[in-house]
Amino acid sequence: MAMPPEDLQPELALVERMRRGEEAAFVQLYRRHRDRVYRLALLYAGSAALAADVTQDAFMHFIAHPGQYDPARGALGAWLCGVARNLARKARGEREDATDPADLADDANPHAGQVDAHTPLESILRTEAAEQVRRAIAALAPHYRDVLVLCELADLSYAEAAQLCGIDIGTVRSRLSRARARLALSLASYAGAKEAVS
Amino acid sequence: MKTEGSVLDPGQETLLDLKLDQLRSELSSVQAPEVMEARLAARFRKARPVSQRPRLWWMPPLALAATIALASWILRGPVPEGDGLVTVAAPLSLDADPDTPFVALRPLDRIAKEDGARIVTTEFPRALLADWGLPVAPDRAGEPVRAQMLYSARGEPLAVRLLN
Repeated sequence: MAMPPEDLQPELALVERMRRGEEAAFVQLYRRHRDRVYRLALLYAGSAALAADVTQDAFMHFIAHPGQYDPARGALGAWLCGVARNLARKARGEREDATDPADLADDANPHAGQVDAHTPLESILRTEAAEQVRRAIAALAPHYRDVLVLCELADLSYAEAAQLCGIDIGTVRSRLSRARARLALSLASYAGAKEAVS
Repeated sequence: MKTEGSVLDPGQETLLDLKLDQLRSELSSVQAPEVMEARLAARFRKARPVSQRPRLWWMPPLALAATIALASWILRGPVPEGDGLVTVAAPLSLDADPDTPFVALRPLDRIAKEDGARIVTTEFPRALLADWGLPVAPDRAGEPVRAQMLYSARGEPLAVRLLN
């Protein structure tokens, strides 16, 4: 769900002060973005401990390489989400070739084995309904999960998600549509299985 | 959220949106662990210990010191060796005749560079000689003394020659 454009100037001023070494500016930036980055990391990593590590590493990366953030290419929040996404995927050993267009020829899931091996069992949300959706998203193939998490849950625009995933906006739209269809199917089968058990 | 080219019927779309809303609502109450802030702030301090100061922090104090030194040099001028007076000829006696040489009150090289210097015959209290480092007998300090002064074009006394 894309956020409306925001005034970036106050944030850019903070980034500039941080680059000059002002700790207070860094802390302000951290407090602005920590929860958003942590939530995204939680969805990718699937465990609170790994999400905390990923969040910390994302901000460590920002401290070590503040010049890598280019304001001309988007908001800091989106950039930090991108760093966290890459770190989480790396931590889970996900392969970047998941975005190969050949994988998208049909709705087959070429990474089913990989997804099954990494689907987290830890319950990280309080309500069962939310936890069920989170698990169903975690079980999606990486290229579907990417656009679903970024556009539906991390408040990134299609353009930001496209830039982050290295694909065009049209591909983001089509993957999102397929991701939603697969998620709906997965949730329906879960609900059916639950009814059969009860 | 209805997406482009959706394969879901409207009912499925609505149901999926409800499920995603449940997840969003739950996620909105999730917060990053508090302990991370202190760790990251410490890392920030460690990573940037020297950049607490601007890169050219030393420029303002240096400029100030240079200004003070320059102003001091201009006001005081080059300090001559000895007692501050350069004698043009032999030490002057207060009773010297009119051919007595001038006693320089400023460095010779400075006097040599003065354009438009002029000699003025004048009279002033003998005590004034003490200000220029010349000997004055206390019992004659109040007496007037005639002298020729060498002035710069700006009226600065450069040298003096006593006439009596």
